[in-house]
Formats: sequence, structure tokens, C-alpha cells
Amino acid sequence: MWITALVSGIALGSFYSLIAMGFALIFGVTHAFNLAHGELVVLAGYVAYWLWKGWGLSLIFTFPVAVAALLCLCLILQRLFSLLREPLELNSIVMSFGLAILLQNGMLFAFSGDYRLIRAPALTEGIYVNGLSLTYGQLALVVLSLVAIGLLHLLMHHTYLGKALRATIQDREGAALAGINVRIMGLVAFGIGAVCIGLAGPLYGSIHYLYPAAGLQATLIAVTITIFAGVGRIRGLIVGGWLLGLAESAAVILLGSSWRELVSAVILIGLLVFRPRGILGREEG
Amino acid sequence: MLVWRPTLLCSLLVLLLVSPSALAAPIKIGDIHPLTGRLAKHGLESHQGVIAAVAEVNEAGGVFGRQVELVSRDDQSLPDVAISRAEELCAREKVVGLTGGYEDSLVGAVSEVARKYQVPFVASASLQKELARHGNPFFFRVAGLQGFVEPLCDFLSERLRPQRLAILHAATPGATEFAADLERCLQPRGIPLRLGEKFRPGTPDFVPLIAKLATLPADVIVSGGFFSDHILLVRQLKAQRLSAKAYIGPWGVAYETFLEEMGEDAEYLYGTSAWMPGITLPGTEAASRAFVERCRRLFQREPSSTTMHGYTAARALLAAVEDVLRRGQPLTGANVRQALAGLDLLLPMERLSFDERGDPRSYRHVVVQVQGGRFVVVYPPERATGSAVYPAPPWKQRP
Repeated sequence: MWITALVSGIALGSFYSLIAMGFALIFGVTHAFNLAHGELVVLAGYVAYWLWKGWGLSLIFTFPVAVAALLCLCLILQRLFSLLREPLELNSIVMSFGLAILLQNGMLFAFSGDYRLIRAPALTEGIYVNGLSLTYGQLALVVLSLVAIGLLHLLMHHTYLGKALRATIQDREGAALAGINVRIMGLVAFGIGAVCIGLAGPLYGSIHYLYPAAGLQATLIAVTITIFAGVGRIRGLIVGGWLLGLAESAAVILLGSSWRELVSAVILIGLLVFRPRGILGREEG
Repeated sequence: MLVWRPTLLCSLLVLLLVSPSALAAPIKIGDIHPLTGRLAKHGLESHQGVIAAVAEVNEAGGVFGRQVELVSRDDQSLPDVAISRAEELCAREKVVGLTGGYEDSLVGAVSEVARKYQVPFVASASLQKELARHGNPFFFRVAGLQGFVEPLCDFLSERLRPQRLAILHAATPGATEFAADLERCLQPRGIPLRLGEKFRPGTPDFVPLIAKLATLPADVIVSGGFFSDHILLVRQLKAQRLSAKAYIGPWGVAYETFLEEMGEDAEYLYGTSAWMPGITLPGTEAASRAFVERCRRLFQREPSSTTMHGYTAARALLAAVEDVLRRGQPLTGANVRQALAGLDLLLPMERLSFDERGDPRSYRHVVVQVQGGRFVVVYPPERATGSAVYPAPPWKQRP
């Protein structure tokens, strides 16, 4: 039972970090608090669903199209966010809240309120040994999140572009004074964020399920994991995701399913009080 | 010109005499549903049922010749919005009655506004017993918890007789009461509960819970979750290769859209239904077919059980309005309420009459099982259209 819970916790945490990745990067670089993030993930899921259901495309081939669609949309969003004036965080919350409602209603109109599911039978198959199981769906989540985090880490720590992005995350004004074009960095962040969202969406539609209002839950996950990780800490996303996933799984086993969210909330509050810079963040002084 | 004027006047007089309703004000009915937000799927379906009921009455010439005007509002799946929309319908639109509502948090909010304005509210989908205990004379509903609990309790104790029963349920008031009532009903019949667990609707991962079920191992799982919870839970049960002899989802399984989304994974699952196309109360076959046809024509889709709940609630309200007009009474909230209290109406979903609390007297589901991609009624025997496949084949023996 505990091994199953462990595997499930890590897979769930990987799922959480995949959802959070785009949000964390965009927020870190541009300070745009995108409340419509979840809706974008769900929209990417609907794009994949439409391709799968309407055109008979296999799940794997829906990823590039979802990524391309989200790239276009996120670049438009970046343009909208760039028009905002200070206080940027507050104004971006207001604007993205409106966007979230707009997207929700658009999806309701286009796809109805029905729950939609991309059926990928391979994801429910897996490796079964002595009553223990590891499904290909769980495996895909862990591998994909590790690869995505690894690539992002490489980009951020081993390229000039990454250094510029990190500098912008740490201090936008300082970065601008040092000659970094923070507007271009914002564009890059939205672009990379769009790729992450485009990857997360089809998975959301096949591992979870889609409905127009599902974005709220995805946004909450993204915000929570970003706080867990600490702004701009890419590796922290996976550690934060896993910690949350494992805590939730352990809570179900030890205390019961109804304690799942309470345990997460307690950990989140504890983290904010004792480690405000995130789980891997180093304290000042 | 002088010849035309009296001709026109005469024509107008004839029109008024032949059809006194031509200039009569329409009867306003208020309809509140979650048309957006997390409950939009169910709200839209129920809302379509209300539209179908109003269309049916208007196509037949209206209520005593007066057309019915449906004034619809979206509560956005939020109780505070439901209150403000209900206030608007009662105070500004002056509706003679309210209908709609999905989920107790929304229904409860609207019912208190109905009490305040003394406008009767017939809820289409509400379960929590507490709501009917508030002594609100203006609150009525067409569904009730016992309609699920009694047939399931009988089915489990008479047919399945599980050794290791698990009841999982969503953390909503109605689902929590359902789980407690079912356990209370089964215990004296010698069926103890081996595992009872509550979960948040929309939980993203059931695997740790499935690991607990596997330790029993549970032979019958009753899951008081909703449509979306079944989608996830059943797939994860399959992925974890936990094969229960029976999986019963009283809410959410018995829907055509559930079959469409789940495909073969829905096979052998049990659900309950008050009505669905092809499963109707004996003696109401023609009315049921007419309802299905009307929905297809109006919405280009098959109606679901939720659509029928909306239709039933609206039909009750319209029948009460008709009763008030037939008696020659003024169309006030108090008179419509009085008519609702004495209502006795045979509809495809139920023979509808209300008890002193506003609960339906004879709302009862049948137990269905998915067999060969369609729903087969397996309980009660007098309405069964086939036998239950029990135990269900293990996952690894299925294609």
C-alpha cells in the first residue's frame, strides 16, 4: 500500500509541476500574475481533444499542435500584458481574471459544458509486479516533468539567454540597467511558458478530464506549486510538486481522503511562515 | 377611408372575442440554473428541460390561453450570485414561481429568497434532507435522497449481498447524507460497511484510496461521487487492476454522455436512474417519447435524466399555475403554493405529489447496469429489462 502511495504521490507531484511550470516562469520574468493560466492549460487540452476526437489523431501527435496554438495565443497575451501599467501584479490579476471568464465562456460555447476525456488506453496499461503497479501514464508524467525541468534548468543555468532571464527574475530594473532587454525577456518567458502549457494541456485531458471551468483548479495548483518552489526556482518546482503529491497521498493513507486538502494547506502555510523563499530558497543574511 | 375604419374596429373586436388571450399578459416563470461555472454541464441540461416544458405548454395554446414567458438567469454555480438572481426575478421581474437549481448549496440559497418573497420554488435537483426541514412552505423539490437509498439498499441486500462493502462519497451534504443513510439501511440487514471514505469532488488522484480498497479487498464499491469523479476513479481502478465484483455510482453513471466518454471501460458499471430515454414510468411511454422528440427538435441532442428533472419541476409549477387559473383565483405566490401542495401529476419520471415538507412522495430510481454499451434495468424486478452480470469480469479478462 505504501509503495503504491509513494508512486502515486510522485506521479501526482510531477503532474502538478508540469501544470505549474509555465505559470512560474511567466510570473518570475514578467511579474504578470496570470489567473487565466488554468484556462490556457484546459484550452490546450481542448485543442488536443478536438484533434483526437474530430480528426482521429493519436494523443502523441496532438502535442505539437497544442504547443503551436498556445504559442500564438500566449504571444497575443504577452502583448496585452505589456500594455499594463504599474502596479503590474494587481493590474495583471484584474486583466487575467477577465480573460479567464472570457476563455471559460468561449470553451463553454465551443465544447459545451460536458466533461471530455481523451482516451489513451496505453496510459492505463503498465508494469505489474507482485501486486505493485506502475502505469505508463504515471511513468509518462514523471519522465516528461523531469525532462522538461531538466531542459529548463539547462537553459536557465548554462546559456546566456538563461542568465538574462534569471537576472530579469531577480531584479527587472537592475537587468534593464545592465543592458538586458526585459521586454524581449518577457516575450521569451511567454514563449517558453506557452510550450509548457501546450505540453500540460493534452496530458490534463488524458490523465484528468476537461470541462470549461476546470481551469480554476489548474490555476490553484500552479500558484501553490510556485509558492512551494519559490519564484524563479525551476528545480524547486519538481521538489515542491513531489512534496505536495507525497503529502496528499500519505494523508489519504494515514488519515483518510477528506484530510488530503487540509494537509496540503497546513504545509503551504508552514512553508510561507518558515521558508518564505520557497522550499529550496536560501534565506538572506 | 370612412368604410375602412369601422371594418378595422370590427376585425379587432372579433379578434378579441375569438382569442381573449391575444392581449393577455404572459405568465412569467423564473428559472435559475448554473449555466456557467463548475456545474454548467448539469445546469444546462436541467435548464433545457425547463425550456422543453414551457415550449410544450405554449405549443398547446398556453395556460388558459395565456402564453408562458420563461425568464432565465445564470447563477454561475455560485450561491451568492444565485441569491441576487433570485431576488431580481422575484422583486423586479415579478415571476409567479421559480424553478431550477442544481446542487443543495444553490438550491438552499434560492429557497430562502423564495420564502422572503412568498414565491414558490420547485427545485429540479436537490437532495439534502435538512433543506426540507426548514419549514419553508414555499419550497418544493422533485427529487429526494430516499429515491436513491431505498432501491440501492434493497438491491445490495437482496441481490449482491457483498462481504466487503466500501462506500466512498463526495464531501457534499447530499452525498454525505446518502452514504450515512445507505449504511444505516444496510447494517440491520447484515451487510456491514468495511470502508467508508469521503473525498472532495474533483479530486485529481484516487490511487492512494484505491490502495486502501485493495487491502480489504472490496468486493462491492458504492461511489457517491459525481460524473467527473467516476471518470477518474474507474480509469484508475482499471490502471491499478483492482477488480471489484460491482461498482455502483448512483449519480453520474447512468448518462449516455458517460458511456461516450468512457467507452468500454463503462461496461458492467451500475448506476441508478429516475428516467432516461427508454426507461420511463409505466403508463407514461407516449409522454416520454414526446419529451425526447421535443428535446431533439429544440436542442439537437438526447435528453438526460437531469433534463427530465428540469422538465418535471417546470411541469409541476405550470400545472399549479393552471390549477389556480382554473379555480378563478388571482395568480399569487400563496395560491400557486397551495396548488402545488395539492398537486397529483403523472409524469414520465414519477407520479408527482408533495408531502408536507415539499418532498416528492414517490420519487424512486431503478438500478441499471451497462451491458453491451447500453443501459439495462436490473432492479427492481417489476421494471427489470435484463439480469445483472455479477460478479463483473476482472479487468484483465476484458478486451
